[in-house]
Amino acid sequence: MRIFSVSHKTAFVVDHCPYMAESSRQLIECDMLTKSRSQGVIPLAPVSKSLWTCAIECSMEYCRILYDVYPTKKLVNYIVSDSEVHILNSWKQENQNTQELMTALAAVGPPNPRQDPECCSVLHGLVAAVESLCKITEYQHESRTTLMDTADRVANRGRIICLTNAKSDTHVRMLEDCVLETIQEQNKRAAGSDRLMPIQQCELVLVHIYPQGEETLVSDRQKKELSSVLSSEVHSVRAGRYLAGKLNVLVQQHFDLASTTITNIPMKEEQHANTSANYDVELLHHRDAHIEFIKTQPSFHCMNTSRDSGLKETVTLKWCTPRTNSVELHYCTGAYRISPVDVNSRPSSCLTNFLLNGRSVLLEQPRKSGSKVISHMLSSHGGEIFLHVLNSTRSTLEDPPSISEGCGGRVTDYRITDFGEFMRENRLTPFPESMVDAACRTPVERAKFQLERHTRYWPMIISQTTIFNMQAVVPLANLIVKDTLTDEDVLTCQKTVYNLVDMERKSDPLPISTAGSRGKGPKRDEQYRIMWNELETLVKAHVGTSERHQRVLDCISACRSKPPEEEERKKRGRKREDKEDKTEKNGKDTEEKGWTTDSERLKGVMEREKDEQSECEIIKDSPDSPEPLNKKPRLATEEQQPPEKSKGPVSLLTLWTNRITQANSRKHQEFAGRLSSVNSKAELYQHLKEENGMDVHENGKATR
Amino acid sequence: MPTVVLLDSSLSMTRPVSVEGSEEFQRKNLAVHGMTMLFEHMATNYRLEFTSLVAFSSLWELLVPFSRDYNTLQEALNNLEDYDKTCLEAALQGVSNVVQQEWGTSCPCQVVLVTDGALGIGRGSLRHSLQTVKQRVDDKKFPLPFPFPSKLYVMCIANAEELQATDSMDNLEQLINLNGGEGQIYTMEGPLCLKSVQSMFGKLIDQAYSPFHAVLRCGNLTSDVQVFPRPEPVTIDEEVDPIPKTVQTEGDEIGTGATDDTEEETSTNQMAGKSPNFCVLLHGSLKVEGMVALVQLGPDWFGMLYSQADSKKKSNLMMSLFDPGSEPLPWLGRMSQLGPASDAAENPYGEDDSKSPFPIQPKHKRSYAQNVTVWIKASGLQTDVQKILRNAKKLPEKTQTFYKELNRLRKAALAFGFWELLKSVAELLERECTLLPDSAHPDAAFQLSHAAQQLKLASSGDSKYAAFEQNITPMLTDFSGGGGADRI
Repeated sequence: MRIFSVSHKTAFVVDHCPYMAESSRQLIECDMLTKSRSQGVIPLAPVSKSLWTCAIECSMEYCRILYDVYPTKKLVNYIVSDSEVHILNSWKQENQNTQELMTALAAVGPPNPRQDPECCSVLHGLVAAVESLCKITEYQHESRTTLMDTADRVANRGRIICLTNAKSDTHVRMLEDCVLETIQEQNKRAAGSDRLMPIQQCELVLVHIYPQGEETLVSDRQKKELSSVLSSEVHSVRAGRYLAGKLNVLVQQHFDLASTTITNIPMKEEQHANTSANYDVELLHHRDAHIEFIKTQPSFHCMNTSRDSGLKETVTLKWCTPRTNSVELHYCTGAYRISPVDVNSRPSSCLTNFLLNGRSVLLEQPRKSGSKVISHMLSSHGGEIFLHVLNSTRSTLEDPPSISEGCGGRVTDYRITDFGEFMRENRLTPFPESMVDAACRTPVERAKFQLERHTRYWPMIISQTTIFNMQAVVPLANLIVKDTLTDEDVLTCQKTVYNLVDMERKSDPLPISTAGSRGKGPKRDEQYRIMWNELETLVKAHVGTSERHQRVLDCISACRSKPPEEEERKKRGRKREDKEDKTEKNGKDTEEKGWTTDSERLKGVMEREKDEQSECEIIKDSPDSPEPLNKKPRLATEEQQPPEKSKGPVSLLTLWTNRITQANSRKHQEFAGRLSSVNSKAELYQHLKEENGMDVHENGKATR
Repeated sequence: MPTVVLLDSSLSMTRPVSVEGSEEFQRKNLAVHGMTMLFEHMATNYRLEFTSLVAFSSLWELLVPFSRDYNTLQEALNNLEDYDKTCLEAALQGVSNVVQQEWGTSCPCQVVLVTDGALGIGRGSLRHSLQTVKQRVDDKKFPLPFPFPSKLYVMCIANAEELQATDSMDNLEQLINLNGGEGQIYTMEGPLCLKSVQSMFGKLIDQAYSPFHAVLRCGNLTSDVQVFPRPEPVTIDEEVDPIPKTVQTEGDEIGTGATDDTEEETSTNQMAGKSPNFCVLLHGSLKVEGMVALVQLGPDWFGMLYSQADSKKKSNLMMSLFDPGSEPLPWLGRMSQLGPASDAAENPYGEDDSKSPFPIQPKHKRSYAQNVTVWIKASGLQTDVQKILRNAKKLPEKTQTFYKELNRLRKAALAFGFWELLKSVAELLERECTLLPDSAHPDAAFQLSHAAQQLKLASSGDSKYAAFEQNITPMLTDFSGGGGADRI
C-alpha cells in the first residue's frame, strides 16, 4: 500500500443528533447469576444500547484493529456532529490511540434526546471532515520537505466514514452532494495555502444504522464515482452485531487485511484445571502474510467462512505445541502485526499473553495427508505480536559452502575471542531523536566513527601481534582508542608503559608467536623491540586524536629501551622528525591512513626477521655446516669486540672460530659493509634511512 | 536467483544456417553453443545458483531439475532430441509449475527462453494464445505473468529483421508485456554464426548474470565479498519515491544487536587463501558470541550479517536484507538513532551483560496488551458485570479488585455513552446489598451502597461525577483498615 493512498487519512463522522439516542432494541441480559441462585428475586430488566453506543463501540473497534496493525502512518480524525462539530483529535501521530478517543468521547456523552432536532445535523460533521482532509499531516509535510522539487508527488487522498441514521435515499443523495460541493470549495481554498492540500481522491462510506426489528429506509449501494474526486458507497446496517460485522469487513477492505484462524489451541478449562480443550482464535493482519496461498491456490482448501465475520474468508492454521524454548533462526520472508478479532475473549487473551511472555508458536497448514508443512510463526517483539511468514518450500540458500573453503579460511589463529570482545564494546543502543552531538552527527554516524577509531590498528591473527596477547597492555589498548582522554586516562597509559619497562628490566618472557619458525624464536631483547614497535604503531595511529594521546606516545618514546647508538641517531634525526610532525599535522587525511603503511612496514620487518632467524636456526641445527659468522655478534655486544683485545684467557672455541674465520675470509670476497665498517660495525639499510627518514633505526637491526 | 532454461526443441530448430565454411550448422547447434557458454559462466561465477533445463515442442519435458551441477546440465545439452511443433503456452505453464513446486511463489526466478522465433501455427501457437488471452476462464489462465517474481529473457536464434518480417517480434514483445514488462528480447546481430550467438549470450550474461562483488567494511577492517544470490534493486513506494534502490557495493558493518530472520547469503570466493580475511574473523566471532552485525547497504537500507549453519559442520556468513527504509524492524527503532552503547550514560547492556536496550517498546501498547473493554458481543459485557458481582460477594477482602473492575466498566460505559448500563449495575449492587447474609462483614454493605450511589451519579451525566479520568474510590469506613477510628 502506498503511503499516501486513501487509507492514509480516515475521517470518522458520527452522528450525535437526538435520534441517535434511540434504542437499538438489541437486549442484553446482564443479570444472569442471580437467576439460578435465589428464587424470590425478580431479575432486572435487560439493558439495550442506543444507536449512538453501537456506532461508537463499532467505530472504536475499527480504530483498535487499525492501530494494532498500523501503529503509524494510518491516521484517524474523529468527528462528532450535532448542532455543532466536535473534533475529538487531530492528524498528529501522538493523538492516534484509542484511549485518547475514549476520553474525548466520554466528554461528549450520549446524544441529548431533548435537543432541538431542527438545528442538529450530520452535515456539520461532513463539512468538517472535508476541511480536515485538506489539512496536511506530519507525514505529508515531511515527505514534501524532503522531496523538494518533486513535492507534487505527495498526494492528498482520504476516506470519510459516516455513521448516521438517514431518513431516506434522497437524504443520502443530499449528504453526498454536500460532500462533493464542500470538496470543490475547499480545494479552491487549499490551492492557495501552504498548510492545506487540495483533495485528489476521496472515498465516502455512508453507514446507515437502524434499530433492530425495523425496516430500513435506505438502500445499500455499491461504490459509485460521483466525480473524478469523490466516490461514494452506502451500507444500510442493523445496529448491534450486524454493524460490528460490517465495520470489521470494512476495516479489512480499507487496509488490505486478511484473517487467519489459529485452530487447535490447547487451553486449560477454567472449571477443571486437569482437562484441556482446543480453541480457535481469529487474527487479522496484512494480506501479504497470505501471499503464498493467494498466488498458488485461489481456492485454497483451508479457506472457509468464519463464524464471526459473515462472508469474509479466513485461513485456518494449526497450532504446533512448542517443544523447547530454543531460539532458532527460520527462513522468514516477512513479519506482520496482528490484531485479534475478539480481543478480550479468554482464548484470545490466553494466546496473546502466551506470546507476549516471549514464547513463539509455529503454525502448520492443516493437511489430510503428506508431511507437516510449517508456514507461519507467531512471536512477539517488544510487546507487539507479529505473524511471521516462513519459507515452507525449498530454499535457494541450502547447502552453502563452509566459510573455511573461502579466502582466509585456512588461517587458524584468528583473534576470535578478541573480536567478540570488540563487538561487545561496539554494540549499538537506541538514542532519543533529540540527541545530536556537538558535530551534528547522528548516532549511527558516531557508531561508524567509533568503529573507524577502534580498528586503526587491529591485527586479525594472533601471530601478527604481541601487544594484544599481553595482559599488561590491556589498560592502554582500551583507553587509546577513545575519542577523548582524561588526565587520569593518560596516567593509566603511562603506568602501563612503566609496567612494561619494568617487565623488560626483569626480562619477563613475552608471548611472541613462534608460529612459522622453528626453534625458540627471537631473543628476549629482540622480543621487546618488536613489542615496543607495535605499541608505538598502535599509539601513533591515534596520536592525531588529541594532545593527550600525543602525551602517551611521548611517554613510550621516552621510556622504551634503545641501544645507545640508536639514541644518538635519534637525536640527530630529531630535527627531521619534527619537520615531519609538522607536515603530518597539516595534512590530516594522509595521516589517517598512516598506520596501514606503518604496520605493513612492521609486518615486513617482522617477517624478514623471522625468515632470517629461521634460516639461522636451520643452519645451527645442522652439524655439518659451520656457524655463520654474522651470528656471533647477535649473542651479546661484549663479544663483538675482537678477541685479541679481550682480557683474560681465550677459550678454545674462540681460537677455533678465529682460525676458521681467517681461513674462510680468504675464500671469498669481503663484504662491502665489513670493509667500510668502523670497529667492525657497519650501518645496514642506509638507503632506507635516506628514503624513509628516521624510522629505520627503530626496527632494531641497524646495528648489525 | 534460480534459472529455468526453456529450450525450443521443435523441428524448426534444425533448420540449417548458411555458413561460408564447410561445416553446416543447425540453429539448434548455435543454441547449444550459447547455452554452453551460459552454463560455463555460471559454473565459474555463479556456482551457488540453481538452474534447470526444460525442453519443449508440442509437449514439454523437465530434462534437468534444479541443480548446481553444471556438468549434468551440459550433458543434457549434448543429448537433445528433435520433436514436432512449437507450443509456447503449455511450456510456460510447465515452467510456472516447475518453479512453484520447487521454490513456491516468493522466490524470484529468471526464465531464459531459447527459440528460433518460429512460434508455431494454428492452435497452440503463441499468436493463437495471445489472441485468446482475454477470453480465458479462471482455471485456464495464460501462465504470464508468472505468480513468482520473474524476469523472462528471450534468446532468439534469429536476427531482428527475420523476426520483424513475421509477427514473431510483436508476439514476443507482447509476451514480455504480459509479464509486467519484466524481461528482455535478445536477437542476433549480423549473420547467424557462432560468433554472433556468443555476443548475444554475452549480453545476457552482462545483464542478468554479472556476479555481485562488494566490499565489507568495518572501520579500517575490510574484505572483498561476493554475494549470492545477487541483491536486486527494489522500488518501494513508486509514487513518492519511484527510483529503485540498489545495494551499494560498499557494505558498512555498523554494530550489533540480536534478532532472527533470513533472506540473502554471502559467500567468499573459492580462491583458497592463507592470508587472513576479515569475513572469516567476523563470522567466527559472530558464531561464538551468538551475535548479529548490522550492515548498511545504502542510504536508509540495512541488513544483518550472522553465522548460518546448514549442517553442524558447515557454516558461513549470511546477509539478510531488511526492507529499505529508516525503520525496517520496529523493535530496533529508527536505524539512524542507533549509536555506540559506550556513549550512553549507563551501559544499556548492564555491567554483567544481563540487560538489553532491545526490543524497544512502542509508545502505546497494542489493544491485546492493555486489557481493553469491548462489549460488541453480549458475552463481553456479561463477563465484566459478573466479575464485579463476584468480587462484591467477597467484600471487604476483595475491595481493591471490586473497585478496579467497577471503574473499568464505568470508564467504558461513559465513553460509549451507555449510561443505562451504569444505572442497571447500580441497581444490581443495591440488590446485592439487600441480599447480604447476616454473617457478612458490615463494611460490605457500606461499600456496595457507596458504589451504587457513585454509579448513579455518573449515569446522570453530571460533569462533577461523570469525568472520565476520575475513579470511584473505596469509601473510608470505621471498618476499613481502622483509618476512620484514628481520625476521631
